[in-house]
Amino acid sequence: MSVNRQPRSFLNTGVLSRLAGIPFLARQPMQGSVSGRHASPHRGSSVEFAEYRKYVPGDDLRRLDWRAYGRSDRFYVKEFEADTNLRCCFVVDTSGSMDFGSGDVTKLEYARRLTGALGYMAIQQGDAVGLSCVAEGVVKSLLPKRGPAHLRTLFDLLEGAEPSGETQLVTVLHELAETIRQRALIIIISDLFVEPTLLRECFQHLRFRKHDVSVFHLLDPQEIGFDFKRPTRFLDMEGGPAIFAEPNDIADRYHKAMQIYLDDLRQVVLESAIDFHQVKLDEEYEQVLSRFLVGRTSGKR
Amino acid sequence: MTFLQPLLLAALPLIALPVIIHLINQRRYQTVRWGAMMFLLAANRMSRGYARLRQILILIFRTLAIAGLIFAISRPLASGWLGLTAGGQADTTVILLDRSPSMQEQGAGTGVSKLQTGREQLASMLETLGSDRWVLVETTAGAAIEIESPDSLRRLPSTEPVGTSSDLPAMLEQAREYITANNTGRTEIWICSDIRENDWNAESGRWQTLRDSFLELPQTVNFHLLAYPTDGHSNTSIRVTSVRRFETVDSAELLVSLRVTRDQSMEDSISLPIHIELEGARSELTVDVEGPTFELIDHRIPIERSNDRGWGRVSIPADSNSADNDFYFVFDRPQKRHTLIVSGDPQTAIPLQLAASISPDTTTECSAETLSQEQLATVDWAAVSLVLWHAPLPGKELGSLLRDYINRGGQVVFLPPREPGSGQFMNVSWNSWKEQQVAIPVASWRGDQGILANSQSGAALPVGELQIRRFCELSGEVTPLARLQNNLTLFAHLPTTRGGVYFCTTTPDAQDSSLTTNGVVLYVFIQRALAAGAAVLGQTQQLAAGAAAIEQPVDWKQISGPEDALSTDYIHQRGVYSAGEKLLAVNRSSAEDQARVLDDDRLAELFKGLSFSRVNDTAGSFEGLIQEIWRLFLVTMLIALIVEAILCMPRAMPVVEQSGFPRRSAETDADPPTERATTSAAATVTTS
Repeated sequence: MSVNRQPRSFLNTGVLSRLAGIPFLARQPMQGSVSGRHASPHRGSSVEFAEYRKYVPGDDLRRLDWRAYGRSDRFYVKEFEADTNLRCCFVVDTSGSMDFGSGDVTKLEYARRLTGALGYMAIQQGDAVGLSCVAEGVVKSLLPKRGPAHLRTLFDLLEGAEPSGETQLVTVLHELAETIRQRALIIIISDLFVEPTLLRECFQHLRFRKHDVSVFHLLDPQEIGFDFKRPTRFLDMEGGPAIFAEPNDIADRYHKAMQIYLDDLRQVVLESAIDFHQVKLDEEYEQVLSRFLVGRTSGKR
Repeated sequence: MTFLQPLLLAALPLIALPVIIHLINQRRYQTVRWGAMMFLLAANRMSRGYARLRQILILIFRTLAIAGLIFAISRPLASGWLGLTAGGQADTTVILLDRSPSMQEQGAGTGVSKLQTGREQLASMLETLGSDRWVLVETTAGAAIEIESPDSLRRLPSTEPVGTSSDLPAMLEQAREYITANNTGRTEIWICSDIRENDWNAESGRWQTLRDSFLELPQTVNFHLLAYPTDGHSNTSIRVTSVRRFETVDSAELLVSLRVTRDQSMEDSISLPIHIELEGARSELTVDVEGPTFELIDHRIPIERSNDRGWGRVSIPADSNSADNDFYFVFDRPQKRHTLIVSGDPQTAIPLQLAASISPDTTTECSAETLSQEQLATVDWAAVSLVLWHAPLPGKELGSLLRDYINRGGQVVFLPPREPGSGQFMNVSWNSWKEQQVAIPVASWRGDQGILANSQSGAALPVGELQIRRFCELSGEVTPLARLQNNLTLFAHLPTTRGGVYFCTTTPDAQDSSLTTNGVVLYVFIQRALAAGAAVLGQTQQLAAGAAAIEQPVDWKQISGPEDALSTDYIHQRGVYSAGEKLLAVNRSSAEDQARVLDDDRLAELFKGLSFSRVNDTAGSFEGLIQEIWRLFLVTMLIALIVEAILCMPRAMPVVEQSGFPRRSAETDADPPTERATTSAAATVTTS
């Protein structure tokens, strides 16, 4: 399949080929529109037996299990598991803070790589892929669709995403929870610089709508270490007021604040039962994706 | 606190360096675009108490370290000498050392005298302080002498104790003369004394002159007093008040009168053994002493009849001050007391001759002759004990003759002639006669000391009973001994280095006064002057240490006394000495037996207007009066640096592992199935 003749900076064919062997599965039954690789909540016509149930008038007589009738003199209908496709919705944070990166890549660039690779894999296995770029609202949006042609649109959108403004991730996630129909896999890629308590509500909302939620939490090593030496004036990348700080003076409290945040976030994640991945930008995204995909495979059915 | 290198304190503003560097550092900030502002905001919202306190403490300790360094190199001193060396090392340091007998008093249980303690304290202290020039003014020296270093105070013989009383005003005058003559720079004057009243002469008019002269000096002069005012413990002194050789038909005796003086606080009765040594022969006498003073009158000591002249010593057991535990005396056959009356007026000369020729006791032979001024050239002055001058004041030639006589220790009493004339003697002259219609009595006289002093029994002379009708006014610097009711002088004394010069402003003439009819005052007055003259001119002499003697001390030979005394110091050391045919007994002055200390207010008055500091020390105390404490500041600096280093140490980050993620998250990874099992759904948390 040649869907992407134009080279994309965030796509690495080597990585894609190495990840091709690992299936990209949902952790829960999906309600797809066509047959696919994912489990469905409905009975279908796959080869995998599901259960017997009593015949009720109206059932197709061709599905009666005559052997069971012979043994028990009762009518049973044999049911099989249904396989369907999924709708994978990427929610990529494109707020100003995603432009930060102390190393080679910014958080947004890292998010592009993750989104690009996973989107490619999903399209490859016939799933529908959508995208929402979130900053001070939904900046760009692409409805989930299947087909290789859609992949190009997706990549174009990703490539054109620019980091700016404050993040309204919480509001957008609530909106998406309401607007995305049926069960879907929602992959959030963000630095999650919002209050964990607000995120809890978002995640629970999404879970209530029976979406499978995965989160890639991107953090830069410098944001974790805060290893500044000289007095520094910190300019808010999301347009807020600047802060002047003596690193030696404030580092302790910064680390303490971060620790509290991470603890709270961790608690939210556990309570919300979401697939959470904390990602440090100096890590190869191939490893991150590999761990993500293998983790989902082991949880299959 | 004072400093040996106060100029280095000018570097004190450097203590602001940490603050300045901190402020400069604050200005040299970098600008960073930052995404995780929520943590910075949260950090700002958190309590900044400790962080701010830590920052302040770091700055304080850095400041403290620099201050400690500056103070350490400024060589601070710990002492009670406030303002001791403000201005740095002195150009000249003058040391006034009181070597008087009272300075030999020892501290209780120490065996170390005030003088020893003071010398040691001064030496160690001045070695620390330093100076370009060291000058010593001590009790016996007539002028200031330069010494090599303060250490010389420990070695020099001129810092050893003597029997002479100090004359602090004179010593200060010597210091001032040195300062003026050498045009010294900043001068420190250190006085080491036990501030006894007799040494300081606080009532002397010289103090005002001294104060003024020091204030007029262009250079800075600071006075420091190292005082030893307290008595170590009870002290007893002994003094021979009189010695007379008494001869009977077949034997001879020595009549010795003693006075034992104790501290005022000692009121208990004690038995005091008194050792009497008479030319090597010792005897002991025990007396019961009660109260502060004990007098023994005319204690008889048999001697050989052939023993015309000799010496002796009385002593008591050792106590806190060894300098007043013995007293030397000399004795001789009573000298013939010859009085020379220079007068042309028989009305006056006759009573004078009677008073001078009648002996006070049977052993003393007295004689008197009346001469005119023209006959004086033929007089054997060596045999004259007293001159009663009732004639116009002597001219140049006779005046010179009379001054020589006085300088040898002779006594002269001037009475006003009928025609006073305009002559002067020793800047004193007679004015005119004054006549009163009604005789005027004497208003006041010095009964405590001098020629009109009370008798040995304490009875006052009947000076108040005198009636004066005519008197001659006197002009010149004299010390009045008796004053009339109109505040005019009746008897006066002219201070001289040796001998005695007295003025009586009236005559024994019945028209002038009742001196003849009330003869007691005239008789005692003349006999006392006669005795004083005879004592000087005789073959034996009792001298107060330091008092000018007839013979030069270089001719003296020691018969008894301290063995380590230098021959040049004989005049200041107690003992018995021979000078040719004469025997001389040298002892401390009577004022040394009176342990009165100058009170603080009076002392402060003496130095009023001058830069003066004082510290009291005690004998035997060798705790340093000043100590360099730069080590303390160095230690303070080191402690400050260590504390600052501890405060600056970055705090461990307990929440972040090497990978930069929370430990608990890592633990979660270690056991993901369990974590998942605790949640209702299949939640996964992974970290890289």
